Amino acid sequence: MKDNQAGMSLSFKIISYVIISFLSLACLFPFLLMISGSLTSNESIIRDGFHLIPQVFSLEGYNMVFTFPDQLIKAYSVTIFVTVVGTVTGLFLITMAGYVLQRKDFKYRNKFSFFIYFTTLFGGGLVPWYIMITNYFNLGDTYAVLILPGLMTPFLIILMKNFIKSAVPDELFDSAKIDGANDFRIYYSIVLKLSMPGIATVGLFLALSYWNDWFLSSLFINDSSKYQLQYYLYNMINTMLFVSQMSSGTGVTLAQEIPTESTKMAMAIVVTGPIVFLYPFIQRYFVKGLTVGAVKG
Amino acid sequence: MGKRRLLTLCTVTLLTASMLAGCGGTKTEAEKPSVDKSQTKDNGDNSTTTTTANGIDTSEKVELQFYMLGEAPKDLPTIQEEINKLALADLNATVKFNFTTWTDWSQKYKLLLSSGQPIDLIFTADWTEYQSYAKKGAFLPLDELLPKAAPKLNEFVPKDMWEAVKIDKKIYTVPATWKEYVTEGIAYREDLRKKYNLPKPESIETLEQYLDGIRKNEPNLLPLADNQGYHTSSVRQLTTKTVNSSNTVPYGLNIMYDKPRDVTSYWGSPQHLADLKMYKTWADKGYWPKNVLNIKDSGHDVFANGKAAAILGSENPNRYNDSVIKIKSLHPDWELGYFPYPNAKGFAQPVHPIHNGFAIPRTSKHPERALAFYEKMVTDKRYNWLTQYGIEGKNFEVEDGKYYKMLGDAQSNGFPREGMQGWAWRNPEFMLFDKSFDAVLTMFSEFDKIAKPDIFQGFPEDWSPYQAEKAAVEQVEKQYLYPLNVGLVEDVEGGLKLFMEKAKQAGLDKIQEEYTKQWLKYLDDIGQ
Repeated sequence: MKDNQAGMSLSFKIISYVIISFLSLACLFPFLLMISGSLTSNESIIRDGFHLIPQVFSLEGYNMVFTFPDQLIKAYSVTIFVTVVGTVTGLFLITMAGYVLQRKDFKYRNKFSFFIYFTTLFGGGLVPWYIMITNYFNLGDTYAVLILPGLMTPFLIILMKNFIKSAVPDELFDSAKIDGANDFRIYYSIVLKLSMPGIATVGLFLALSYWNDWFLSSLFINDSSKYQLQYYLYNMINTMLFVSQMSSGTGVTLAQEIPTESTKMAMAIVVTGPIVFLYPFIQRYFVKGLTVGAVKG
Repeated sequence: MGKRRLLTLCTVTLLTASMLAGCGGTKTEAEKPSVDKSQTKDNGDNSTTTTTANGIDTSEKVELQFYMLGEAPKDLPTIQEEINKLALADLNATVKFNFTTWTDWSQKYKLLLSSGQPIDLIFTADWTEYQSYAKKGAFLPLDELLPKAAPKLNEFVPKDMWEAVKIDKKIYTVPATWKEYVTEGIAYREDLRKKYNLPKPESIETLEQYLDGIRKNEPNLLPLADNQGYHTSSVRQLTTKTVNSSNTVPYGLNIMYDKPRDVTSYWGSPQHLADLKMYKTWADKGYWPKNVLNIKDSGHDVFANGKAAAILGSENPNRYNDSVIKIKSLHPDWELGYFPYPNAKGFAQPVHPIHNGFAIPRTSKHPERALAFYEKMVTDKRYNWLTQYGIEGKNFEVEDGKYYKMLGDAQSNGFPREGMQGWAWRNPEFMLFDKSFDAVLTMFSEFDKIAKPDIFQGFPEDWSPYQAEKAAVEQVEKQYLYPLNVGLVEDVEGGLKLFMEKAKQAGLDKIQEEYTKQWLKYLDDIGQ
């Protein structure tokens, strides 16, 4: 009986390891294709398609990308700036909101929670949102427009609220009060310290959403020196797509040099590379925080 | 201690707040009310109202918002500065050139026109749905403005062009006057044709012979560069006198140029069945790969990189010329040939005037000034060359007194030819062409001999009565007709029956009826 159990678990282990390793390899595969594509000459990609090992080795893709590195560097710095400022400010506001919303002695907390939750169910849609940001707030072509809309995500506020609820026992507030701490002091020395894993998770979510964002640039930014990195890349690829989709009946001819397949791949490598190397170092916080944060007390 | 903590906290809060304010609080020029009354620059006369020669009031200094599709050229700021120097002197106005990029351009276009932000000039074309936007009232009617604000431009554009861009009897856009052809043709490898002694592909029979010869002698070469089964519309261009100059008449309708009032359904007709059977044999002979419906590469790229021997669609004279130049640089020993469909049809249709234009949206704060500025863009050589070719001596130079020559290459030049996508303000009197473009111009002059006006592109289709059906039929077409087009269905007759059945269920009859009704009304309007 026991042997059987052990056998079961052993076979289970073997099967799960096989499946997991297979899936991880499958995840690596597109990445390898991208690297090889960036090192292949463009003509060979169009003629023979993509291969895991470059058929005709060439560095022309990277040459193209680094001929004018200034735009790329600019886009990088915009994204880094937006990510850092957005994440720090966002965390600050989200933890405060979460802390206040879970305080039992805050009379209107349910109403406020509902108010925040309500926005996840109903939205005005794209056009009103666009009009509000461009015509009423006049945020077109500013860095603020890249930061503000993503600053307080309702989902993250709710996540934070629940996390603080589970991480900080109510009795702590009382004892801290008796010891003479005011609300800010409690927030600063107790809540923030105890909910570190949750903060790491929410911070990661925020940072990732800022890092990967292209939509805000696409809608509100006209000045190409304020493009975020992802949009810079996305836009380059889209230009190609557009040209191939436009039927010849439109007679659209583009004067600019259109990036080739290998340039696209090189571009993608340059853009994703740094983040891929960074990921293993922060990934453990991510896992820890997610598991804790998932328990909605 | 506690106090100090609180203090730091407050400071941090304040700092972050000020940081945010710092990057949000800057109002750009464009958002300020652009009227600057105190701006009475001494231009030699101190009167409060200065008027230009054409009698519009230019006493206020204004900034115009100019919108174009596509990417901004690298040197745009320099060009804008130069233009503003001129415009300030001529019209007491400055202009800001905005570009949408090609990413989601149609969505952005819609937002620009529906959000009510002030825009003074915007690009229009048949493919940006000029007709339906004009019908919805997105643009200002220009009939009264033109003689007053832009008399020169009003004279410059021929009468019949003004007539052709009218929507419900009103002018909403300024058309481009350069006559170009975007008709398609068969581009093929001439060197291989000579090598294997094949006929020139100028009809279905000779095309088949040519492709068979390629198949037999060059097994590694694709006979046809094709994606998504684009060849169907090309075959229609080759075998009929269909009314349009590229693509197909929508919803499977059949409209011939010589009898435009006679509308029948091509889908489901015996002719359609015969064509589909022919595609089946083409597929069986291996003219295109089995996975043709999933190919994402543009046919033009595949052909220009020498992966295929011929291409049926997507090569208009200009693009074909591109392919020639590309092939020359990659494989100097190859040679290309071209057979334009107009030669098969017996007539060529130049682009319709609405194909490239500039309109003034309803939200414009300074329509008169915008139109006067646009007049300068078209009819003043200084403005025109700056915005089409850049700065002479820096971006381009004139060779032999008439050819355009780019300085540097496309990589290093910050303003290539027509770098602002300036298709709409091309002026035939000022245009400079690259030497390599002579071939295209020769082709155009050939077409001029058999030119007939385009009567199809100007048709303002209004699909609101059958919007739901349209989407459903498109879905059915993708699912049932595409496989037939590329010969993936064994039983062609049964497949066509099934497609027609599904299309009729989706509401094809209603669409065709409504479309025909609108089409006939349009023909009455243009007097055909």
